[in-house]
Amino acid sequence: MIECVDSARASTPEARASGVRPWHGYGLGLRTEHFDAVLNEKPDVDWFEIISENFMVAGGKPRHYLDEIRARYPLAMHGVSLSIGSTDPLDLDYLHELKQLARQVEPIWISDHLCWTGNGGINSHDLLPLPYTEEAIAHVVSRIGEVQDFLGREILIENVSTYVSFANAEMEEAAFLSEIARRSGCRILLDVNNIYVSSRNHGFDADAYVAVLPAEKIWQIHLAGHSDYGDYVIDTHDHPVRDEVWALYARTLERIGQVTTMIERDDHIPALAELVAELDHARRIGESVLQPARAACA
Amino acid sequence: MISLDPLEQRFLAHVRGGAEFPRAWCAQGRVDSDIGLSIYANAYSARLCEALESDHPVLAAYLGDALWAEFCSGYIGAHPSRVRSLRHFGAQVPSWLAQQKSFADYPAIAELAAFERALLDVFDSADGGRGDWSELQSLDPAAWPGLRLKFHPSVRLLPTTTNAVEIWRALKDTQSPPAAGASSVPARLLWRDRERISRFRPVEADELVALRSLLSEQRNFADSCEQLAVTRAADEVPALALGFLRQWLDEGIISQLDIASDGAPAPR
Repeated sequence: MIECVDSARASTPEARASGVRPWHGYGLGLRTEHFDAVLNEKPDVDWFEIISENFMVAGGKPRHYLDEIRARYPLAMHGVSLSIGSTDPLDLDYLHELKQLARQVEPIWISDHLCWTGNGGINSHDLLPLPYTEEAIAHVVSRIGEVQDFLGREILIENVSTYVSFANAEMEEAAFLSEIARRSGCRILLDVNNIYVSSRNHGFDADAYVAVLPAEKIWQIHLAGHSDYGDYVIDTHDHPVRDEVWALYARTLERIGQVTTMIERDDHIPALAELVAELDHARRIGESVLQPARAACA
Repeated sequence: MISLDPLEQRFLAHVRGGAEFPRAWCAQGRVDSDIGLSIYANAYSARLCEALESDHPVLAAYLGDALWAEFCSGYIGAHPSRVRSLRHFGAQVPSWLAQQKSFADYPAIAELAAFERALLDVFDSADGGRGDWSELQSLDPAAWPGLRLKFHPSVRLLPTTTNAVEIWRALKDTQSPPAAGASSVPARLLWRDRERISRFRPVEADELVALRSLLSEQRNFADSCEQLAVTRAADEVPALALGFLRQWLDEGIISQLDIASDGAPAPR
């Protein structure tokens, strides 16, 4: 278990340079359906995560609400278009827009996914699986380096749910992710639901996966719901977080300590109050898991 | 050992259109690789169809399930996404519909799509200032002939030959749409108002002449009056043109009043 610094300290260059995991509390994905409720109800949410691409528009309501909500809450920027594993050239126009948005939002951090989304200039708009090979590590590490140099900051990279794995794999996913984080200097956005989904689909031990990861690199956790079809599981983000994922979340915190956490919901989006209540469940798990550890240290 | 680039190419080709992805390249996990691959392929088409329906809910209702599915399949095949945001995936929908025989025979369909895309553009186009009547009144009358208008970035002028907007309005109100027919007006004007609400209204022939001149061609006020004088008596034109200016300023669709001296179109 490692020490965290609070969000005020985490925002300092010294804290970022130290590599000590910052603590920003419990957040939610900011969705269009909740713009007014966020401003009117002032929910007890520590921060919101935006989908960066949704705000790469010229103006109008999206930018208006972004400014209003940013004035009240810290924001993280989470992207879906970096395509860090693609063999296509990095999209410099996208990076310019991302950097411009970051200047305006001043996010707590910027994240994207360990995947590829397109090839040959064609975008699948999906988070497609990489082969866990040395070639892919070298490719991704090089590109993360380019992105971090361009943005002038380290990014967070998230593990994705996968439904296919490749015969040429030279290692397990956790080792692949760990090695990329180690070599590139990026942090890890650990999606606990994605670990669960992939562990069911590929038959690996979710706890063993977490145990392999460098704890100090894990700066954020995602929680979400999935659809269980018995023989396989799909990451759908259209349900509340399921019990088995809450349990894995609790075991993950026991292993790695306090981590900034948020809940994603992208379909069948309920009222904001319902998500805030779900987030309170994450808080309670965090407190129940971590308070005994703090007491032991006192 | 297969390297990254051909693996991605073959995988994407499979996801997009069912081209074979060698099963020997897949590891056999708990989930059969055929099922795993089908999850990606299904998600690909479902996601793109969902994006199109999100952008064109009224078009989807107008076409009905079978024609909508035919449209989605045809468009996704013809226009694989080369954009980073799904917001722009359907940018070619109106032109594609206008060129496909099965849809082009019913021009209201492409115009309905064009209207929905214009509403999308109005919604998140750039912000801009709003000129007002007092600014116009403060101008030296001698400068009026050289006056150019900078319209709000959200303004869209949409020519209409069919009653697509009436069809849109009926379906939006969950009413039965009228039979497809001719448009009662030559164009629609769309914009985002001061409260960021998207608005639209019909444009009659005289106003269309003025808007084409001042908005589309970025000509000055004198040129616009000359255009109006082609179909209107000369003594009617000043009041007509002034009335349009007043209305546009009240609606907030003019961002800026420019007095250009060189006769060249002012930059928008």
